[in-house]
Amino acid sequence: MQLIESVLFYSTIGLYFVSMIMYFIFVAVKKDGVAKAAMILQCVGLGVHTAAIVFRGIAAGRLPLTNQYEFATAFAWGICLVSLIFILKFRFKILGAFATPITLLIIGYAAMQSREIHSLMPALQSGWLGIHVSTAIIAYGSFGVSFVISIIFLLRDKLSKGGFLEQHIPKKEKLDLISYRSAALGILFLTFTIITGAIWAERAWGSYWSWDPKETWSLVTWIIYGVYLHLRINRKWNGKAAAIFSIVGFVCVIFTYIGVNTFLPGVHSYK
Amino acid sequence: MTVLKKTWKFITSMKFAVILLIVLAVACSVGSVITQNQTYSYYSQQYGERGAAVIVALHLDDAFHSWWFIAITSFLCVNLLLCNILRIQSLINRTRKASEYETPDATFSEYPGVTDPEGILRSLRMPDPKKDGGRLVSNTNTAVLWGAWVCHIGVLLIIIGFALGQMTHREYVAYGVPGETLPVGDSGLVMTIDDFRIGLREDDTVEQYTADITVFHENSDDRQSASISVNNPADLHGYRFYQNSTGYAAKISISKSGEPIQENILCAGEFIPVTDLPQLVIYLNAIYPDYYMDPVSGPSTLSGKLVNPAYLYSIYYSGEILGMNVLMPEEVITVEDYEIRFTDPQNYTLIQAKKDSFTWLALIGGIVTMAGLFMAFYLKPRKVQAELEEDGTWTMYNKVYKRDTLFDEKMKNAVGGAGQGGSDAAD
Repeated sequence: MQLIESVLFYSTIGLYFVSMIMYFIFVAVKKDGVAKAAMILQCVGLGVHTAAIVFRGIAAGRLPLTNQYEFATAFAWGICLVSLIFILKFRFKILGAFATPITLLIIGYAAMQSREIHSLMPALQSGWLGIHVSTAIIAYGSFGVSFVISIIFLLRDKLSKGGFLEQHIPKKEKLDLISYRSAALGILFLTFTIITGAIWAERAWGSYWSWDPKETWSLVTWIIYGVYLHLRINRKWNGKAAAIFSIVGFVCVIFTYIGVNTFLPGVHSYK
Repeated sequence: MTVLKKTWKFITSMKFAVILLIVLAVACSVGSVITQNQTYSYYSQQYGERGAAVIVALHLDDAFHSWWFIAITSFLCVNLLLCNILRIQSLINRTRKASEYETPDATFSEYPGVTDPEGILRSLRMPDPKKDGGRLVSNTNTAVLWGAWVCHIGVLLIIIGFALGQMTHREYVAYGVPGETLPVGDSGLVMTIDDFRIGLREDDTVEQYTADITVFHENSDDRQSASISVNNPADLHGYRFYQNSTGYAAKISISKSGEPIQENILCAGEFIPVTDLPQLVIYLNAIYPDYYMDPVSGPSTLSGKLVNPAYLYSIYYSGEILGMNVLMPEEVITVEDYEIRFTDPQNYTLIQAKKDSFTWLALIGGIVTMAGLFMAFYLKPRKVQAELEEDGTWTMYNKVYKRDTLFDEKMKNAVGGAGQGGSDAAD
């Protein structure tokens, strides 16, 4: 079972990589057919990725969301899923050229982690695990997409001097709106993640909030996106400033996920 | 404007809220980076004398309970509360206005020359319009206007629930081995550990820690029993009991000139004075269940199974260390006339008992926050109105909320023409 999972996992990386190259070719040769092929490859990649996660779950006999490898691969899955939804919903093909490299970076980080399957420690044996971690994946994926769109927002004027890109990159107002929609989805799910985490922590550790570094940095991330939402209401702050704040927010997300586990061990430091 | 008015305006402003949020985020980051609740010597080792002095002076060693952290959070609560109170009237007005025809301003997109406004409303899945002579108004999801307000109330409830819980909660820990009866702090409760089991998997990893406990009041015979394990606490006599952690304990037997004088259970990390010579103290540093002497790192254990136990102990006399060694089960420590033995190694369980009467308030706050966010983000406010012109056609107006131009694009497609205006936010 683990062998199948390995094959599927590396096939996913290959498919995402080819999809990324196709998106780059689309930007270079300016042919819509190439973008369509890139999107199909990304969809197939997501399907194979889903199968890899399912096989991992079968091999482990539990939800595969408990260590750095499992969360990283699920995080990449979340970014890929949310980016595909936004590509299709907003007919925003060029988003793929920016989202697939981020997906590849995260799944590449997953590939560097230990892929051994360990039994769950008692604290992790809870029905809350699935809800808490899966909502975190959607939240992080949404923030990832908001981050990518914010980068496109900041680069738009430099990129879209030609007619083709002008046609394929939405106007700044729309980019700001799509980024906001993605961040809003992320905030909703992050709030749910924090609340379910607090309920679970109360049952497992006897305290629903104990200022553990992971809890604290989730709160910091939530506050940063809260500031983003408040600033966006102010017309002087929309656009560029909001985009910068969305990027800062995603840096916090990455620190909460990788930085905290690496530099600030606490009760969340499951190996 | 007087200073008082300026101050009032500032503390009720969004600008103040944003400043407080940023300061709070920075404060949380600092609190997470500096290890909390350590000794001065720890900080001086980590950050040097000057760094340690700064940390202690600024209460960065207990940042989340420091006066400045509480002050930031209190200011945030005041700001949230005042903003919410001040916004009520305006929200009521806006809610009322939402179903009425408005004089179109810059927040509306305009679509002239429409012949079938009701058909367009149907194609946009808008509710049936309110008709008033030559005017139509269709609006939906007005509740969204209250989303941020509800969310702020939720955050306030969380903070208040957490603060009250911190101020009033009672928390105790008690540890022991099966058969022991222990007081639960000064709660007036007594707990008997009936049994403690460690469930192991085939690969020797721990599947679960389970303790069977009975709890009763000191002066009452009302006994309540439960089996508790990690993730499965039990509510007994108003407290919630958690299986918190475990470790090793052993029986210590002390005899003098061959006569037994003392027998106790000693957990690893505990010390015990000899009853008739209190200056003589035995400290049980650690128990190794599957003892192994590592040539480099010293005493160690090969597994968690109690197959070859050994005891690392220290002996003190009047505060001075007499010796420290590893003792095997068959060995005896001899100090003058005293003989000391360790036997019956076993697991002890550490049980946490907690009462927090305000957890429910924080939970309600969480649910309200979620509801507010959902209202704010996923209920899309729509308002489309139309006015009959002299030439018999209708001019339709779409109110653009929160710079949401996506619905305006749908409107444009439905009408089949370009709208005018509507690029500014109505919020």
